[in-house]
Amino acid sequence: MTFQIILLVAMLAASAFAILAKDLLKAAVALAVSSLILGIIFFRMGAPYAGVFEISVVAGLITVLFMLTIALTKQGDDVRESKTVKIIFPLFFIVFALIDLFVMRGILARIPALEGAAEAGTFGEVLWKERSFDLIGQLAIILAGVLSVLALFRKRDRHDHE
Amino acid sequence: MIFLYIGLPLAVAAVLPLVGKASKRVLPDILANAALAGLLVYAATGARALLAQGPIVQQVRWLGEAVNIRIALDGFSLFMLMAIQLVSLCVGLYSINYMEHYGAKANYYALLLVMVAGMNGLVLSQDLFSVYIFLEVAAVASYALVAYGLGAEELEASFKYLMLSVVASAAVLTAIAILYGMTGALGFDGVAAGLRLLEANTVTGVAAALFLMGFGLKAALIPFHAWLPDAHPSAPAPISAILSGLLIKVSGVYAIARIFYHVLGLTPALSQILMWLGAVSIVVAAFLALGQSDMKRMLAYSSISQVGYVVLGIGIGTPLGVAGGLFHLLNHALAKGLLFLTSGSVQQATGTRNLDEMGGLAKRMPWTAGTNLIGALSISGVPPLGGFWSKLIIIIALIQSGEAALAVIAVLASVLTLWYYLIMQRKAFFGKLAERWVKVKEAPFWMTAASVLLALLVIGVGLWFATVFSTWIQPAADSLAKGF
Amino acid sequence: MIMNEWVIYLLFAAGMFFLGLYCLLTMRNLIKLFIGIEIIGKGVSLILLSTGWARRSIFLAQSLVVTYIVIEVSLVAVALAVIINLYRTNQSLDIRSLTRLKG
Repeated sequence: MTFQIILLVAMLAASAFAILAKDLLKAAVALAVSSLILGIIFFRMGAPYAGVFEISVVAGLITVLFMLTIALTKQGDDVRESKTVKIIFPLFFIVFALIDLFVMRGILARIPALEGAAEAGTFGEVLWKERSFDLIGQLAIILAGVLSVLALFRKRDRHDHE
Repeated sequence: MIFLYIGLPLAVAAVLPLVGKASKRVLPDILANAALAGLLVYAATGARALLAQGPIVQQVRWLGEAVNIRIALDGFSLFMLMAIQLVSLCVGLYSINYMEHYGAKANYYALLLVMVAGMNGLVLSQDLFSVYIFLEVAAVASYALVAYGLGAEELEASFKYLMLSVVASAAVLTAIAILYGMTGALGFDGVAAGLRLLEANTVTGVAAALFLMGFGLKAALIPFHAWLPDAHPSAPAPISAILSGLLIKVSGVYAIARIFYHVLGLTPALSQILMWLGAVSIVVAAFLALGQSDMKRMLAYSSISQVGYVVLGIGIGTPLGVAGGLFHLLNHALAKGLLFLTSGSVQQATGTRNLDEMGGLAKRMPWTAGTNLIGALSISGVPPLGGFWSKLIIIIALIQSGEAALAVIAVLASVLTLWYYLIMQRKAFFGKLAERWVKVKEAPFWMTAASVLLALLVIGVGLWFATVFSTWIQPAADSLAKGF
Repeated sequence: MIMNEWVIYLLFAAGMFFLGLYCLLTMRNLIKLFIGIEIIGKGVSLILLSTGWARRSIFLAQSLVVTYIVIEVSLVAVALAVIINLYRTNQSLDIRSLTRLKG
């Protein structure tokens, strides 16, 4: 469990770096590292499929898309972020962390829960049989994404609306 | 086959880009509108018959094996389906002309169908996580549709809408995780049963608050409304119509109603919160609408205000109140859809959305002006149009529950609504015909036809409100009330 | 339920939410804002998985997380498409240049 906590802290640190970094490429890499760590956390919780998905899709595919965008918007990265924001950040974070710890301590005994039945079957069976409706949803959202990208990058002949 | 509501639009949407390559204009239009019309007919006739035997739970079979797609149709979902198909069909017809010079019409129709599929799926789901998935399906399609014109304004609106929606989704998922953590179930019945056993009021309250934040943003309730006045005006007119008329209600109000009635159970505290949230939306948005000179922006604020009425009605908790709220949902969907479509006709003819630049358009665009007037009167609550009856029912229900203050607020806000709509009518359509508009023409055929169709529906619902009420609204309200 | 450890995961997921929200509220570069969205997404995945894990239904949890990640990819694709288009129109990635809509 302690190793999990170390990993979780590392994930938070990488994410914080991704936010505060000045160079967008470094931020992208930090985000990818954060996803990688999350994937490892998933593995260690006994969720290999989620871990694989997290690493290959979020740390992989999304980072690639991200880099693509950065490359396509090269001239735009001279947006100067407010310096005060970066200095104030540790302060806010500490305040938040204290509130967080306090709340979580309080929660420790408070959330009631029903005892559940043990899970039957394999991951495949659960995904395909029990959550099949979700798969239709996944198809739909992939379709939505593809159509959206096609629509947003279509060849523009001058449209004459307002 | 209730699954058709999700399957058909998705299948046609998948095929449309290919069809679009072959035939740029005619075939995609026909295909898309035929699909929507077919679903509408099914909802109006076949499904009603099925429902007579009680709520249907359908277990879909694929290739011989029972696949676990359990969709259920009860009075409430059927009512929503009808509203969705009705307005979507009119929007589809309208788009035949309006989307001509946006390019890639087949792609547009495909996105529209995906959004309809998402809304249908949301309404048919019996499971918290499925509700979330289809919410996102409709939302992702809507981001692209809002930005469809690729102008600076639309892209900006779409981006802000997107950012806020992500926070909303996170809130909803956290609430779902909390409920799952407590009860071990994701389906409505499972969670409801589990919560009844547990009686964990504080934690349920936290989950309810998160749901309100998330779905409240989708429904554009004040104070979560910031995205709507930017997104709805910038989108192409048919998309504004479907967003204001349907999406905020399906992914916002329907979800709140379903979850608060069927899963969490409507406690007196929740009832009060919903009612006051609704009341605040009604009043604040009405005042904000008054100061607008952009026609579509005024309509957008009006949407926030009217959704407030719906939430107010649903929050009352009594059968009459819920029925009033749902009736207003239908009226607003029809009327606001109509108003946005006609505003699009005006925008296309004159090139502007600024009310101060318009004037006397009724002389050149009689159909548009007439249908717009009907929509405006309905929403303002002028008898005998639909909006009057639904607001009346809500007010009566408020008085019956002893909420005199809210009833007064509802009545006064209605007067305010009438006021700003009359301003819009006067500035845009009546008065002197400005010099530059002497040459404008009436809107093209399909746009006018769609507007007329919606106007007839608005009138019809108003005149025959008793029949509409007993055949559609009452069963919906009943199934909602008995859910818990 | 594996209570204590679940609470620790919740703690860190809340931390991720805080980071994401902080980013959305304070950053000006559009792409940085998108990073904020991503971080919130990680927080959500963590909450979903750890709740399922705490209930000992790790398979159901993974199904939910996998579906959520697919949704996230679609969302990212659309968001980046909008950002790229915004850049092409405004020649800038600064959110302060998006001031056309007011009131």
